[in-house]
Amino acid sequence: MSEMLRAPVEVKYADELDYLASVDTDPKPFSWRLSPRMVRLFVLGSERADGLDRVIPQKWFGDRSFVERSIVTLASDRGLLLLGDPGTGKSWLAELLAAAICRNSTLVVQGTAGTTEDHIKYSWNVSMVISQGQSRKSMIPSPIMTAMEQGVVGRFEELTRSTSDVQDALISILSEKYVSIPELDHDNIVFAKPGFSIIATANSRDRGVNDLSSALKRRFNFVRIPVVTNKRSEAEIVRFRTEELLRRHRIEVEVPPTLLDILLQSFADLRTAAAGATSDDEKLESALSTAEQIGVLEDAILHSQFFGDRALRAETLAGSMMGSLARRSPEDLAILNKYLHGVVEPRAKQDGGGWEGFLDGGRQAIAALS
Amino acid sequence: MTAPVAGGPFAGLRHQLTAAATAFADSPDTLAGILAGMIDDVDRALAVPLEIFPVCHHSPASALAVVRRLREKQPQVIYLELCEDLRPLLGELGNCRLPVAVQAFASELDGHPSEWGPLSIVAPLTEASAEYQAIVYALETPGVELVLVDRSTDHVFQWLPRTPEAQPDGAVQAGEEGGRPGDDAALHGDAVGVEVGDLRPGFAELEAYLLHHGKVRHWSEWWDQYVEQPLADADHDTYRQVMVLIGSLFRRLRPTHSERLDRDEDRERYMWTRMREHLATSGVDPGRCLYICGAFHAASRVEQFGLASDAPGYEISPRTGTRWRYGLIPSSHSAIEAQFGLAPGSVSIAAATWTKALKRSGLTPYRLEGQRGTRTRGRDGRDTAAPATGPTDRLSSFLTAPPELNGIDEAELRGWCVDIVRLARRNGYLASTADAIAVYETSTLLAGLRNRTRPTPYDFTDAAVTCIEKDVVPGRRDVRRLCEILLGGDRVGRVGYEALPPLARDVLERLRPLGLDLQKRTVQRALLDLHADSRLAPCSDLLWMLRYLLPHDAVRPIMGERRLGHRSIQESWDVALGRNQRALIELGYEGVTVEQVLEQRLRRAVRGPQATAAGALAAIEDAIRLLGSPRLIGELGTRAVELLATERTVDDAPDVLRRIRRLLTHHRATATALPAWCEAFVAAGYTHYCTLLPSAFVDEQAGVRQVGAMLGFLFSMENLALSLGCDRTQLELAVAQAHPEAPAKVALHWAARHQLGLLPLTELRDCCAELLANPLVVPIFPQYLSGFVQALDPVPGLASFVVELMSTAFAQLPDPILLPWLPTLITTLREHGQELVPLLIREAAHTFPGTLPALDSWEPPWVKATPAPAPPIVPAGPVVGLLTGHPDSVDAIAGLLGCSNPWQRHAQPGRIEVVALLARHPDTAAAVVDLLLVDRTTAVVAQR
Repeated sequence: MSEMLRAPVEVKYADELDYLASVDTDPKPFSWRLSPRMVRLFVLGSERADGLDRVIPQKWFGDRSFVERSIVTLASDRGLLLLGDPGTGKSWLAELLAAAICRNSTLVVQGTAGTTEDHIKYSWNVSMVISQGQSRKSMIPSPIMTAMEQGVVGRFEELTRSTSDVQDALISILSEKYVSIPELDHDNIVFAKPGFSIIATANSRDRGVNDLSSALKRRFNFVRIPVVTNKRSEAEIVRFRTEELLRRHRIEVEVPPTLLDILLQSFADLRTAAAGATSDDEKLESALSTAEQIGVLEDAILHSQFFGDRALRAETLAGSMMGSLARRSPEDLAILNKYLHGVVEPRAKQDGGGWEGFLDGGRQAIAALS
Repeated sequence: MTAPVAGGPFAGLRHQLTAAATAFADSPDTLAGILAGMIDDVDRALAVPLEIFPVCHHSPASALAVVRRLREKQPQVIYLELCEDLRPLLGELGNCRLPVAVQAFASELDGHPSEWGPLSIVAPLTEASAEYQAIVYALETPGVELVLVDRSTDHVFQWLPRTPEAQPDGAVQAGEEGGRPGDDAALHGDAVGVEVGDLRPGFAELEAYLLHHGKVRHWSEWWDQYVEQPLADADHDTYRQVMVLIGSLFRRLRPTHSERLDRDEDRERYMWTRMREHLATSGVDPGRCLYICGAFHAASRVEQFGLASDAPGYEISPRTGTRWRYGLIPSSHSAIEAQFGLAPGSVSIAAATWTKALKRSGLTPYRLEGQRGTRTRGRDGRDTAAPATGPTDRLSSFLTAPPELNGIDEAELRGWCVDIVRLARRNGYLASTADAIAVYETSTLLAGLRNRTRPTPYDFTDAAVTCIEKDVVPGRRDVRRLCEILLGGDRVGRVGYEALPPLARDVLERLRPLGLDLQKRTVQRALLDLHADSRLAPCSDLLWMLRYLLPHDAVRPIMGERRLGHRSIQESWDVALGRNQRALIELGYEGVTVEQVLEQRLRRAVRGPQATAAGALAAIEDAIRLLGSPRLIGELGTRAVELLATERTVDDAPDVLRRIRRLLTHHRATATALPAWCEAFVAAGYTHYCTLLPSAFVDEQAGVRQVGAMLGFLFSMENLALSLGCDRTQLELAVAQAHPEAPAKVALHWAARHQLGLLPLTELRDCCAELLANPLVVPIFPQYLSGFVQALDPVPGLASFVVELMSTAFAQLPDPILLPWLPTLITTLREHGQELVPLLIREAAHTFPGTLPALDSWEPPWVKATPAPAPPIVPAGPVVGLLTGHPDSVDAIAGLLGCSNPWQRHAQPGRIEVVALLARHPDTAAAVVDLLLVDRTTAVVAQR
């Protein structure tokens, strides 16, 4: 594990998963490694009332019903499509679910404009085909096909980024639950084992890139993940994810609660402003998601660690924030400048504290970017 | 207060719980105290000889338990936790279709802060509620008395802290949370809601804790799963004990000494005092009475609780002088949900559960005879009353028994799945039978995941959303909303004709010639040919009045209008009075006829603290349009004059000008003489605006449009004002005293001086030319132009000059100055187009060529070569005679000055007659010479 930059969930939380499996007495669907209740517990964390010997921390923050609906979808005949804005935790939830259900979250196809049907079904090892001819040995199964063979959950990231004909290759997989290999004369059908399912994610902002066909939509249950707006939940997410990232970088920097509040408050302010904007020019290009908050905080901490005095300061946080959010010039810069002078400045005068440093840092960053 | 019995039926349970607290809790004393206290509360409530029946609002389990108990006990008196002054209305429920709300309304406040007005309280009633069943039992059973014992609606507001954000206790402002915006959700308006059996955790953290650990999303779902379902088929004793236990739990787990708790306790003192008074006066046996209240109040610990208490009665303060009016208004499930912060669809689900439970249990609910929608009639409850028995412990068995496994109601769930797919298809979803199967499977899985024995409507809704909802909603309703419709849907009540206030009945009667069913909730089209059918004229009058008084969608004219001096001969209306029944009923609280209410409203409009002269003129217009009462118009007009004279700002000047012009035109066209108030208004306005004019010219707050309107008033009504005794000098002085600095106002000032003859057009043109020639002023020249545009109305004679100036500006101003100003010009003309544009267009059409070929040869009239000015005609006289007689000196001076033009001599033809005339009558010329101090003798010689 220490050799991995980012360990998959089933490796990282192997102890927890083993423990949950050991205490799980409920019936498990198909070949699931945990019962649906334990999957939910693994994702959403345990309570005292669950009566477990150890505490299972919460790993995904959001409405409980989203997780429940996702779990029951995977236990049913349909695939699961997690839909939402960038940074709402779709992929993270997909990974957690896959790891909890089948202890394997790595069977992933990344949807891009260059994804082909081979990436979803199978391809051939050309040298082996030349030397031995076409056979199951010379065939390279895709992650989805592997998932079918093993009866586990396969993942398809950014489904709507791949082209329509590639997407449609999933229709038969989700309907008939087998893939035929016409190149072979015998042993030419791969049947999905019980437990096979697909978790796909799609960015709701990119829906128009390659919209799903009705036939494919019908085979997926959609669960829409909204942007987290609850401040308390958001603070938990940011703290949880940032700690994880910093542990990966082996950095030990304390995030002062006041600075975390400033970060959350400023994102909340900017979201409110974006909601009231009447044109795209009046709102930031950024989706202002929780993931971006995490990115800003991580950037600020790294900056403090390597170029600062190893303590996170409001000035640094402001600089990172402006740098991350100012993507268009002059539109984004103008919005941020307006925010600094219209909202942060009065608040700095009234509350003082970290807001003063945040204002100074923000001004410097804007000046440097302008 | 009755003390709990030390041993008693609950001793075993109390001991068990205390032992458990000691064994498991971190701080056993606290927990043991709470648990034992809860048992004490149950014990005490059950020991009271007057049977306390705890209920929760909109709970089918409570309603079922009440029906069972009423049939069994046959009480003689029912005490109900509802505002005592609402009692007389309940008899009218038979004329209504539920859900309806009992309303108390007050618009004229006496004793309450005036800014709270109008005050409105509603108590909605649905069939699936315990209180409704009790009310119907009492109304339908001979000899049974129903006594409402809660504080009066006046006390609800009396007890309210005098702070702006104050909310009544036990009462909820509409739309606080969970409300879905929409027609039916807004049926209660902004009324405060009161209900029997408000039962929710006392603080947000406890509710959040219960929801979190109950693994549910909202309170309605928690209640349904953990209380409603287990108690649905419980026997009377179990139901009663469990409900008191829950009431006690929420009572004990709430902040002590909170203001709300104090108020709740005051209400309990009030109710017990009222009940004791009634028992004392009526002499009825307490054992034959039933006290129906919220479970929270059943676990009360106030000193007046019970009948054995020696505590003195609660001192009830007298009601204020506020005059309350009462009525029934239609309600709906969604309105109740929005009012009390319940989850959308929860009341509908409760109604569906009630119907299902009735079918399952075979119980016949109580229904009022003749009530709309009644299918069966309640049995006459004159059976033998069950004998009273002492309390026995049912709590222990209830709390320790495993949940009853009813098993899944497969047929019902299957029906839902099929129906939701059908409904979804009808609403544009590509749903199929496969989806129905998926919804069924997912519902079952979700219920299992959530520890439920069978899928609840909430599980079904989640499953349907998961399986059918995709990335976009194809129609108006999403799947969640479709599920709400499927599971009962919103039901909207209706107040019957007999239960309507006199005004509403009068309206329905008077609109009968339209031939429409006005109680319907649909929008109906009424066609009125006033020429063909004279009976429709009063209907038209009434519709126009209702248009003024009711919300705009209640009656909407599609064709036809009524303005000053104009009546259509054909009208077409969209009438939706059934949908706006509440508004019509509330109108009935204000008066007996629509005319009376309208008159009151118009008077209020001009008498209020915010009344303005413009508002008063608008009221006069409405009075003329809708009522035509000269007495009222005169009264409003007099008030308008008073208001104008006391106004210190000129903000409304444009509105005042527009309206008074219209009214003057109307009166001139329809009467031989102007009414006295009109003359007084013009005279007062002339003086008023003359006084304010100098300060308005320099005041930054007064806009150029306002000043323009003041000038418009002064110039356009000058003749009338002067005829009424006003003095023009006042206006001249006012203009002379004005020294504006803002460019637009300077232009207006110039225009005013021009109108008064103080600034000739040539000088005005020169002023503007200087501005354009000065590079420092050019950037603000458009502002001058704006001022001149506003001057078009007060000084219409300047229109040609404005056209000229505008053309010059367009020709000469550089683009960076001109272009930013163009939007201002366009928006100004667009906003005030009715007054300014016709004049400008007419003048422009007159000035510019009408055809394209004419444009080539066209030359602006103001740039045409002006002929050389004619030499001044020098009047004949001694001086002229002297100079013409001896021209040498003049010629020499002219030569020195380089002037070569020959000057006119008197010898020219045509002037001889003048010379002859002067020679015959030299006195005039001599007098002029005197004036010019010329030597008379010389002059005479020269003349000769």
